[in-house]
Amino acid sequence: MFGVARRLGASNTSVSRFLIGAVALGFALLVAAVLASTWIVGRSREHSDWVRHSYEVEVAVARAQVLLEQSETTRRGYLLSGDPRYSEAFDGFQRQVGPAAARVVGLVSDNPRQQANIAEFRRRAAALARSQSASMALARSGRTSEAMRDFTREAAHTPLGLIRGVVARMLTEERRLLTERRAEQRRSVRLFYQMIALTGLLLVALAVITTVTLLRVTRDLQASRDEARRLNETLEDQVAERTADLTRANDEIQRFAYIVSHDLRSPLVNVMGFTSELEAAAQPLGALVDRAEAEAPAILTEEARLAAREDLPEAIGFIRTSTAKMDRLINAILKLSREGRRVIAPEPLDLAAIADGVVASMRQVIDARGAEVEVQRPLPQVASDRVGVEQILSNLVENAVKYLQPGRPGRVTVTGRQERGRVIVSVADNGRGIAPADHQRIFDLFRRAGAQDQPGEGIGLAHVRALAYRLGGAIDVDSRPGEGSTFRLTLPATLQDARA
Amino acid sequence: MSPHQTVNIVMVEDDEGHARLIEKNIRRAGIMNDVRHFTDGGTALQYMFHDVDGPAMNGPALVLLDLNLPDMSGTDILARIKAEGSPLRRTPVVVLTTTDDKVEIQRCYDLGCNVYITKPVNYESFAQAIRQLGLFLSVIQVPDAED
Repeated sequence: MFGVARRLGASNTSVSRFLIGAVALGFALLVAAVLASTWIVGRSREHSDWVRHSYEVEVAVARAQVLLEQSETTRRGYLLSGDPRYSEAFDGFQRQVGPAAARVVGLVSDNPRQQANIAEFRRRAAALARSQSASMALARSGRTSEAMRDFTREAAHTPLGLIRGVVARMLTEERRLLTERRAEQRRSVRLFYQMIALTGLLLVALAVITTVTLLRVTRDLQASRDEARRLNETLEDQVAERTADLTRANDEIQRFAYIVSHDLRSPLVNVMGFTSELEAAAQPLGALVDRAEAEAPAILTEEARLAAREDLPEAIGFIRTSTAKMDRLINAILKLSREGRRVIAPEPLDLAAIADGVVASMRQVIDARGAEVEVQRPLPQVASDRVGVEQILSNLVENAVKYLQPGRPGRVTVTGRQERGRVIVSVADNGRGIAPADHQRIFDLFRRAGAQDQPGEGIGLAHVRALAYRLGGAIDVDSRPGEGSTFRLTLPATLQDARA
Repeated sequence: MSPHQTVNIVMVEDDEGHARLIEKNIRRAGIMNDVRHFTDGGTALQYMFHDVDGPAMNGPALVLLDLNLPDMSGTDILARIKAEGSPLRRTPVVVLTTTDDKVEIQRCYDLGCNVYITKPVNYESFAQAIRQLGLFLSVIQVPDAED
């Protein structure tokens, strides 16, 4: 049971640690995914800005070129037709070329190559503008043929064609940048999706592992709960089984004791009987020896005299005392065995009244020994077997009064208290005490402690212990030689009726 | 001839010593009837029911019965003697045994035992009890066995 619990506990700790770790890792992954997404979205917006920027540059360059082309067209129109509307339009377009080019300069400040291009554009545009302005001035003052000549000379240098070349270079450059930037944008989008996919995969893996672990732990828990329930359900059966075993073993011992003591009795009757016969037969022999001594001393040998007067009576005496002792021992075993077979009848008992009764029945002995016995009230309530409790108390009080410390009047106190379903009755004396080595031994049959100066067979405490066990209790002793002993009887507050 | 002298005493007792002590003390009480001693149940039953000198064939008897026998329980013998239709069912049976178990005593009386005596271990009491039994035997009337 404990092994199972400990294993479960250890695995629980490690499992819960694993689960907490897994959940924390999951959250960390989510946070990382969010951060990565934010970063990638930022990057993506940056790329889009750059793409837009490229378009703006293209538009601005184209606008500058268009303005330039239109100023050229209106100049040509004016030179050819002399229509003043062309002249006005030319002024308007030419004024706008400068700011349009300046705008491009502002846009391409980040790109040195484009800066060089736009600088060339502006230089060439300015040169063109100067020659345009000169030819326009000639034309306005009526010198159209001079203006035409200048124009033709100027056209030989193809200034517009050069400017177109610059513009084309600039547009090509911007296209290149655009392609690059779009590629970058696509890369970052792809990276974003990859990151999302990776995070998703990790989360799924984590979820799977966590779920599997949880399932396993749940299954383990279920299994141990089933096991615990099974044990719990069979507990009573097991207890009943053990109790039945114990009862059987106890009955066996009781029967054994009974049979043995009975069968020992039979030969003992013979020994005692024939010893008596022997004694009876020795009497006429003794008389005969007496007569022989008086009437014919010559026939009486010293050996015959000794045999009849000393050896025979001595031998018979020893046989008698020994058989008497054996008889007492066998009776003690029989008594114990009978006590074991007696039906226990629990009833509510007034311990104080029982203790008083025990003391009263021993009054003569107690007074003769000059001892005092006090029953301290209150004594707890107990439901047990009256005869058993009486016999135990009687034995304990009798012992307490019997084994006194010489020169000290005996004082015996009977106390009791209740402790969680058990009742503890103590019989304390100030007698001669018991050596620690004998604290267990005194409860064994035929064993006694200390000076063997009191009559007894060593049965009382064995009987007490057997009784205490039968009543579902226990007995122990606390004692110091020369100071006194305290016997503690522990009984269940309510003894279950075995017959019920 | 007085009826007492015709009564045979059948003693079923596995312990020779006990048997000897019982016989001695019966004699001391002045009972001089013939005592037949058996140490096991089988032989005793054979004698009582089938022997020509046995009580079933030949006159009244009194049975002294020990319960602890090697081959059978004394109560079995008691049951056979007191059984319905047994020629010996009026024969007085004195159970004389070491067993003092209350249940056993009741059982013996239920089976029809006439007297139950527990052998005292103390010899003086034992001798006393047997002598009193002897006195008792000297006055009781024993019926004839049925034909």
